[in-house]
Amino acid sequence: MEKTILIGGKAGRGTAVTSHFVGKLFCSLGYYVFNYRDYPSLIRGGHNFNVLRISDKPVFSHKNKYDVILAFDQKTIDLHKKDLKKQGFVLGAESLKAKKLISINVKSILSKLDAPQIIENDIMIGWLAKYFGIDKKTLLVEAKKVFKGKKKALIIKAIEIGYGLAEKKENFKKKGSGKYFISGSSAIGVGALASGLDVYIAYPMTPATPVLHFLAGKQLKHNNLVLQVENEIAVINAALASSFTGAKTMVGTSGGGLALMSEAISLAGVAELPIVIYLAQRTGPATGVPTYTAQSDLKFAVNAGHGEFTKIIVAPGDAQESITRTQEAFYLAAKHQVPVIIVGDKHVAESDYSSSELKISSISNKRFLVENPTKDYKRYKITKSGLSPRAVPGQGPKLRATSYEHDEYGYTIEDAGKTVKMVDKRIRKEKNIEKEVKTLKPISVYGKGKNLLIGWGSTKGAILDSLSELKDYRFLQVSYISPFPKKAVEREIKKSKKVILVENSSTGLLADIIAEKTGIIIKEKILKYDGRPFSPEDIIKKIKK
Amino acid sequence: MKPQDFNTKEENTWCPGCPNFAILQAFKMAMADLVNEKKVKAKNIAISCGIGCHAKIYDYLDVNAFYGLHGRTIPLCFGMKAGNPDLTVVGFGGDGDTYAEGISHFVHNCRYNVDMTMLVHNNKTFALTTGQATPTSEKGFVGRSTPLGVKDQVLNPIALALVNGATFVARGYTSEVSHLKGLIKKAVLHKGFSFIDILQPCLTFNNFTSYVKDRVYKLDKNYKADNIDLALKKSLEWNYSMEEKAKIPLGIFYQIKKPTFQEKWPQLKKPWYKVERKIKNSELIKEFK
Repeated sequence: MEKTILIGGKAGRGTAVTSHFVGKLFCSLGYYVFNYRDYPSLIRGGHNFNVLRISDKPVFSHKNKYDVILAFDQKTIDLHKKDLKKQGFVLGAESLKAKKLISINVKSILSKLDAPQIIENDIMIGWLAKYFGIDKKTLLVEAKKVFKGKKKALIIKAIEIGYGLAEKKENFKKKGSGKYFISGSSAIGVGALASGLDVYIAYPMTPATPVLHFLAGKQLKHNNLVLQVENEIAVINAALASSFTGAKTMVGTSGGGLALMSEAISLAGVAELPIVIYLAQRTGPATGVPTYTAQSDLKFAVNAGHGEFTKIIVAPGDAQESITRTQEAFYLAAKHQVPVIIVGDKHVAESDYSSSELKISSISNKRFLVENPTKDYKRYKITKSGLSPRAVPGQGPKLRATSYEHDEYGYTIEDAGKTVKMVDKRIRKEKNIEKEVKTLKPISVYGKGKNLLIGWGSTKGAILDSLSELKDYRFLQVSYISPFPKKAVEREIKKSKKVILVENSSTGLLADIIAEKTGIIIKEKILKYDGRPFSPEDIIKKIKK
Repeated sequence: MKPQDFNTKEENTWCPGCPNFAILQAFKMAMADLVNEKKVKAKNIAISCGIGCHAKIYDYLDVNAFYGLHGRTIPLCFGMKAGNPDLTVVGFGGDGDTYAEGISHFVHNCRYNVDMTMLVHNNKTFALTTGQATPTSEKGFVGRSTPLGVKDQVLNPIALALVNGATFVARGYTSEVSHLKGLIKKAVLHKGFSFIDILQPCLTFNNFTSYVKDRVYKLDKNYKADNIDLALKKSLEWNYSMEEKAKIPLGIFYQIKKPTFQEKWPQLKKPWYKVERKIKNSELIKEFK
């Protein structure tokens, strides 16, 4: 049992809210839903659409053929009718034109209700619910839970009217326990809160902004500070100073913002300050196609910051991983005193994923500070492991952090011998980081085929959903890029007959990293760089051709 | 506590006779006084600096300190205060550092009103990079990167701070050490963003001592510092150019009370590292089902 619904209209028409609600409704009945959002960079007009894939089996991606197109304007029909399935139909107001249109007399209903245009969405929600056989009580309970504010009564009324207009054609009865429905962005926020976030600082930049919104809205409840400051350079410098004082600090941005932050990422490296940086990639270069997805900043993230220093790069592939990988990022940053970049993208960030449970890792969220630092405490003590116990200002000893090379106390040095010792100390930390990351499942392998698809980040969903038709293939997901799980990746590649990289980029950046780390050259690549994420069909078609 | 209790063992590499020594001395005297008066806790003093000659002060003061990147001393102060409101935060910056590379932070922090003090060592030149023009170098200034003379309007940081809402705006001068010490004490005690532009001639690359010496005067005791119109008028008395007839006021141009950053953010009650959290995981995910 599977249905795909496209909901489209002009920006400002509430297609995202409507789609999210319909998704949540099916989730509450126990179905699995994946919701893809597609919107241009504008506030009014244009064309926004959402694709909801609903199934009784787990689904991790959207599809390109639709059972229903819910159209709030003619453009939606004109653009997408070619992808309507044979038995599919279009649902919309009487003013629209389409071959298979089920038209609703929206105008007269709205005028009877004395309601604004946007209430049309709720009429359609009611109609769809009845059509799909959803019980009215469930629908209304869910609607009352989600819709709040002045228009609540009107919305409920409109939903009921819509429900009365449809005929039940499908049978989506309650099926097992309700599912969680969460976007990658909210999941990053949950991961940060579970890690004991104290301070989040950001400058608005799509598609990282939803995390800022999520945390800002909850800051009083969770007692943390969520700040928007003048630019990304201020963001990262303020964040590092806040980390210097012992606060668990995180920042979020996209590629352009990360570029502005790069100098200070290097500062985090030399000053050994924990910091979690969330990078939500979008289509570049420069402003690029700002509301669309890409995986083209991987090498930039790996190399962000001048000079040599240790940095951890982790790439969650869906919402669940966005929670746990964010927790790992906080843990690793605090424990090893390094910057950690969580590399996400628009597709994970703004898609909604469903699952029967949402796991929160039991990984430690300690601050990893020295309890009672003595007077002769050395912040940058040369140790065998390279890790120097960390204290913060106010604990007693005077604390130092510096962008210059420094001695064990943090005073400036330019001496050749001492410089080498301090560089070596910092680099020595990598051994323990590597050991630790090995225990965090840096790679995952799905399926049993003799051939291998390699991917990272948001391609996970489409690749997983394509495996059922690609029996000869298994999927290697690389979750930690730095430190790179060299041996594990090498092993998987070597035991495979055919190896193909799948990536939302024009060159296949992970292949470069694999070549650098293992010497293995991957020649076959399935690449997509039009700003749109892969669907399973995209991958299957390329492989079977 | 004595001023020399803030000394470190590091070798001082400022040029002999550099007016930066006067700023260092005034700061140590001011802070020793404030500690003795029990208005500041020595272990909670935290400074930051950018990059330039001014920034070497990091190595000469035994306090909590963050030696940042060029232009970024103000966001460091902001972040330290956001991380630990108990800290007494003082930022040191140069004129190139604060008014060129870091100007956006300067302007915005006048608005945020974080309880911090910003001391700008203004020698009207980039000294550590051997004498290029900064925004406060006057029109006609000849440096190695501007052999034909600076052609642009000079920047007036006092006026800039005033129009952007800074709540404590002052000017000091390195040849007036005890006056400067008094300004620093008042700036640190002021609740909000306190800014002192300190005229600090560079003996090697831009020695304007004789120009300033003949023209400075201290603001009158009867000067009312809570009047923005008057303050703006005063700030325009000297526009940092080297006009023959100018008079250069020293002292507090403006001081008023406004809610501080900390007062505006009720979450900021104590250092975050002392906050113990009891996180209920089930609460975090409840809304998604």
